[in-house]
Amino acid sequence: MSISDDSGALDYELARRQAGAEPIRLPPLRFIVAAVVAAAIAVSIYLVGRHGDPAPQLQLSLILGAAFGFVLQRARFCFFCIWKDWLDRRDPRGLLGILTALVVGLAGYTLIYGAWLPDPTGARLPPTAHIGPVGPALLLAGLAFGAGMAISGSCISAHLYRLGEGSPTAPFALIGAGLGFILGFLSWNELYLLTISDSPVLWLPRQLGYGGALVAGLAVLGATAWCLLRAGRSSDQEASQKVQTDPVATIFLRRWPSWLGGLFVGLIGVAAYLRLSPLGVTAELGSRSRQLATGLDWLPARLEGLDSFRGCATLIRETLLTPNGLFIAGLVAAAFAAALAAGEFKPRRPTGGHVLRGLVGGVLLGWGTVFGLGCTVGTLLSGISAGAVSGWVFGMGLIAGTTVTLKLGRRLRLLD
Amino acid sequence: MSVLSFIRRGAAVLAASLALGGAALAQTGPLVSTEWLEKNLSDPKVRIVEVSVEPGIYERGHIPGAQNIAWHTDLVETVSRDIARPEKFQALARKLGVDKDVTVVLYGDNNNWFAAWGAWVFDIYGLRDNVKLLDGGRKKWELEKRPVATNPVPVKASSFTVGEPNKALRARLTDVVASVEKKSDARILDIRSPDEFSGKIIAPAGFQELALRAGHIPGSVNVPWARAVNQADGTLKSPEELKKLYAEVGIDGSKPVITSCRIGERSSHTWFILSRVLGYQAANYDGSWTEYGNVVGLPISNPAGTVWGGK
Repeated sequence: MSISDDSGALDYELARRQAGAEPIRLPPLRFIVAAVVAAAIAVSIYLVGRHGDPAPQLQLSLILGAAFGFVLQRARFCFFCIWKDWLDRRDPRGLLGILTALVVGLAGYTLIYGAWLPDPTGARLPPTAHIGPVGPALLLAGLAFGAGMAISGSCISAHLYRLGEGSPTAPFALIGAGLGFILGFLSWNELYLLTISDSPVLWLPRQLGYGGALVAGLAVLGATAWCLLRAGRSSDQEASQKVQTDPVATIFLRRWPSWLGGLFVGLIGVAAYLRLSPLGVTAELGSRSRQLATGLDWLPARLEGLDSFRGCATLIRETLLTPNGLFIAGLVAAAFAAALAAGEFKPRRPTGGHVLRGLVGGVLLGWGTVFGLGCTVGTLLSGISAGAVSGWVFGMGLIAGTTVTLKLGRRLRLLD
Repeated sequence: MSVLSFIRRGAAVLAASLALGGAALAQTGPLVSTEWLEKNLSDPKVRIVEVSVEPGIYERGHIPGAQNIAWHTDLVETVSRDIARPEKFQALARKLGVDKDVTVVLYGDNNNWFAAWGAWVFDIYGLRDNVKLLDGGRKKWELEKRPVATNPVPVKASSFTVGEPNKALRARLTDVVASVEKKSDARILDIRSPDEFSGKIIAPAGFQELALRAGHIPGSVNVPWARAVNQADGTLKSPEELKKLYAEVGIDGSKPVITSCRIGERSSHTWFILSRVLGYQAANYDGSWTEYGNVVGLPISNPAGTVWGGK
């Protein structure tokens, strides 16, 4: 029997089997669903571009959010997991990915600054860059956020992409973060009057010049990378694996190396600053929590000075669609599509432990975000990229808070 | 380069500069059109300055060659809440390469509110006829899909010397009180929204109540600033329409006018129209309602009867 164009479909299949070929199969369901989600994101991007107001900003927010979600999921760019890999296994690869993101961000921001504010020595700060006040409250925010990461298992950006992976903790961590935001707003006025109002806003290029701040930042990051490489243990497992060269599998199925994830995270951060505002994932969550608490009459009529600081703004927006809201929507949807395609979408029924750890950790994450004026993305990444001392200080608090909480939690057999 | 080509190039440069200079000179009014500005972008005798209020809007794309003024720091004394001192203004003008012999085009977001405020401060320090507003501001430039740029363009500093501040352009509380007490014949034009004017609200939605009293200055008349603007593209209405608009409330240029709003920046938009477009004698009251509305015991008109803090 020959295969010809006028053979029926069944004959064709039969002939194929006789010829020893594999039976034709539809691609697995997960690919189809992933394709549908990807198409839905594309349609949303088109519709926001047609009907949004202001259309270009909203549309680009959605696009960058989707790109960010895809990259986070593919590289599994989770600040806490990366830190845990280092603590437990001295695996430096994840941390090197974060350093890559910071190097790209620092260089990219400096490039933009040269055009936007050619002289950094005056009284002015570059527009909208996340350069926050440096003081005890910021350190406390870092510690709380770090503890929240250790308890809930991720930072806010990672909870968002894990929402797309069907994580049983992420939804509760995000609800907890909303509560933490409200607690943060409730304690804001006291801490503001006690310390934040006196905390200086420190921007490295003002003291060191653009060149000096860039060189100093790169030197610190480079030295850290060198230490990590010296002290770390490279995992041989990876090297012995058969190198997968199929580009489709490399992009959509296999986990990306951290340095590649970091490279893209840095580039998306620079693109967001150039065209929209510094990268951040908490503005929408914060402003919706504030809207809710204000609606319930829980908050003081005035939050002193809060809205005058740079960072992930929590000003209440009256509109349904906001740039940060669309950014988050794109992030979660693209992470969902990416996780589906890679077979990493594994929803699980949450247990009591998931709920409790999510809520408690989430509250700390939210509280820390209010006083840090952002999270690992908005304050650490966008802050260090911007040459802000606040980014570094928040980062130090973060590391200390996570490490101590994790070790203590393990000793008490509460964390694993 | 051969002698012939040198002459040819020189002639071309000369012709071009004559044409551009001619165009710049031809623009005698207080407004320039977007079309004129695009044609004159490379004229060395034109300085374009953006005065917007939204942070980052200039940096993320501005009219090619434009420089930036941050309204809330460059043009004011931030601590004493005053307009910039003469030395500060002189330093700014020199840095921008502004002088009496260059055409300065100001523009900005929000219907040129802050650009008009800039024109008022420039005027106080002796830069008047050579300072113009881009009709329609940023809004019209963007609507017409004209190009924007982000690269900084180096500008040669000027040696501008600041003049004595022209006090006739700035109304102080005493001038306003004199008008209220009929000791001067100045008319007060309040350009806030009808609800602010009547005292139903103390400040527009989204703004803190920076005054404790509601209502308006007795004897003032109300023409909201936006009525002077074509909503479609942000351009000003024609001088005839503007004359008619203000004549309806008895402001016809026969008596001096004091423009007032909440903090004095929307009112500078109307000040620009009265002073520069219509040629009326006008002063801007930058203390506005945040000053008058807070002075204990001064006469007030509060038709709505709103009392701050009372429930």
